[in-house]
Amino acid sequence: MATQVQTQELEPIKNLRQVPQEEYYVPGHRTCAGCGPALCYKLVSKATGPDSIFLGPTGCMYVANTSYLCSPFAYAWTHTQITNGGAVASGIEAAYQVLIRKGKYKGKLPNIVVMAGDGGAIDIGLQAMSALMYRGHDVLFIMYDNEAYANTGIQTSPMTPFGSKTTFTPPGKAIPEGKKLFPKDAPQLVIGGHPAVHYVATASVAYPVDLINKVRKGLNYKGPTFLHIHCPCPKGWIFDSKDTVKIAKHAVETGMWTNYEWENGEYTYQHVPKTYKPVKEYLKTQERFAHMTEEHIAKMQAFITAKIKAPGKPIEIPVLGPREEA
Amino acid sequence: MAKEMIMAGCAAAAHAAKFARVEVISSYPIRPYTGIMMELSKLVANGELDAEFIHGEGEHAQVSIAYGASACGARAYTGSSGVGVTYAFETFSPASGGRYPIQMAIADRALDPPGDFGSEHTDVMSARDQGWIMGWAETPQEIFDNTIIYYRIGEDPKVMLPQFSCQDGYFVSHIPDKVIFPEQSQVDEFLPPYKSPHPLDPTRPTSHGPQIFPDQGPAIDLQRAQAMLNTPKVIETAIADYNKIFGRNYSPFLEEYKTKDADFVFFLQGAHARTARYAVDHLRKKGVKAGMVKLRFLRPFPTEKVAETLSKFKAVGCVETSTSYGAAMKGGNLIHEVRSALYDEPKRPAITSFMAGLGGEVVTFDEFYNMAKVLAKAAKTGKVDQYVYWMNFDNEV
Repeated sequence: MATQVQTQELEPIKNLRQVPQEEYYVPGHRTCAGCGPALCYKLVSKATGPDSIFLGPTGCMYVANTSYLCSPFAYAWTHTQITNGGAVASGIEAAYQVLIRKGKYKGKLPNIVVMAGDGGAIDIGLQAMSALMYRGHDVLFIMYDNEAYANTGIQTSPMTPFGSKTTFTPPGKAIPEGKKLFPKDAPQLVIGGHPAVHYVATASVAYPVDLINKVRKGLNYKGPTFLHIHCPCPKGWIFDSKDTVKIAKHAVETGMWTNYEWENGEYTYQHVPKTYKPVKEYLKTQERFAHMTEEHIAKMQAFITAKIKAPGKPIEIPVLGPREEA
Repeated sequence: MAKEMIMAGCAAAAHAAKFARVEVISSYPIRPYTGIMMELSKLVANGELDAEFIHGEGEHAQVSIAYGASACGARAYTGSSGVGVTYAFETFSPASGGRYPIQMAIADRALDPPGDFGSEHTDVMSARDQGWIMGWAETPQEIFDNTIIYYRIGEDPKVMLPQFSCQDGYFVSHIPDKVIFPEQSQVDEFLPPYKSPHPLDPTRPTSHGPQIFPDQGPAIDLQRAQAMLNTPKVIETAIADYNKIFGRNYSPFLEEYKTKDADFVFFLQGAHARTARYAVDHLRKKGVKAGMVKLRFLRPFPTEKVAETLSKFKAVGCVETSTSYGAAMKGGNLIHEVRSALYDEPKRPAITSFMAGLGGEVVTFDEFYNMAKVLAKAAKTGKVDQYVYWMNFDNEV
């Protein structure tokens, strides 16, 4: 007789004192000082606890974390190709469904978490992520967003903001702004086309209680959920490594980042400032934007002003695209 | 009681997977292998097979889903053809390097361009260096048996490697033939449930596939190579057991036909062996001492067996059914393996190769007779004029 598959129920926390003391992402890795994605990993691991399987598509959090014979993960962890985090996670989830059903695995369904960078989530990994969402696997897909391919030396990704200097978008005489394009709206990609998904949220490493609760909420859903987490990168964005959390907060205060939940079609917003500070104040904290002219900054401000009217909803970019400009 | 059925290679592979009690299946449509998944989806829908049937979003995802499942200790099955196989290429090394003994059914198909449905071995032969066990079946019965046998070999603790169970597209996959279904209890006796030594299991946490430093690379590659070196012995035992339990008569690596006093042999794999057998019969009637040697495993390549067997003849003609543009012998793939295997033999046959059966073209009797003319001459003179003959294009053939 088939055994019923049981899932885990994770409790929300109220404040910082309730954050679990236990570490499941332990020292022994080689991430940079002030690494936003590493802080993200630490908080997500506290949220899930040890009855979990994490997947790490190729990226910083694979290369810098998993030196052979000194893994920092106190739960089951596997590498995946940068392309196939969503597909391998689907296989893992399917395996546990059948193994539990047949009585070959005795526990509850483990928390299955994909920790993909922006490239592994919505660029080269988009197809596999979308298919996982479509098929309704019970998996939390997290995109830890440091806004570039950082592991390979800071190249532009679809999440890299307009105007960023990266090693593929160097500002020069012909292209003074560096990056010409505006980023993809990752949560919108998930919300817009996947009827099996009931929960999508954004979070920031600067707001740990909120982040932990969103991870737990996502995992409590019996189905695919998506979390987009803002993770400043001192190396790629070029700022002092002590300022990671400050910069993450700054992003929220200027509207460069918004924390929100989308649950069964309803949006709720968190940490919305009473009045937004000018984007310029955020841009001047990072050297990747240092070359931007007043004209470029105005273009960026116009984009953000349009975006914060209704974060998480489709907007028309209020400026010309690269082909229209020509 | 064993049951006699009539079915094509696709259905035979699907039913064998059911007998093997596969637990996670990942599909994506491409001809001609699709028939395998169509049959399996029916078996799952009817409740005859308790498995997760996942619609992959492409072949790359199919293999990824399968090895993800295998990493947790489930028996996983997938498959493809032609450009589908090459689309999945990135995943082949992670599957074998992760030592995930998944099985990928291949009904081979010519690669693009131009668009072509027909059989050709080039698709999966391009992946012969990726650490997968692979071999071709000649009949629906053989693909049925191979499907079960390959799991037993791949899941052996000394091996732990994925397998390509290959059949020729259409010639085997779509031509019905007799297939004997065994009792489920016989299969269960031969193939115990899969047990992963280090599953992704939160109660026993492990890290799979961490980043290494260069000095750790050679040791890890050596382990994968060692697994392949361990495989021939495991194949021998598995096939001996299979023959005993199921009453078959397979020889593990090479099947010989009328080779006892042969001057020369056709050396090939898969479906065209059927035509070759009739061609040999006809040639024998005319007094030509022809024979055939069929290769059952391309990986691991049975070097010693090939050397021992083929050194008995005066000439060997590899019937390629695959391409390897710009390679040492300028034609297909088999001739390189055969010449390497024979290099240290004191008495070597003259060896040449024939480009035939490409793009799904039938290798006709006339082509075999023309090959025989070239091989008879080589057997007589002890040397070959060319290393490769393109059938119907080169003057002599």
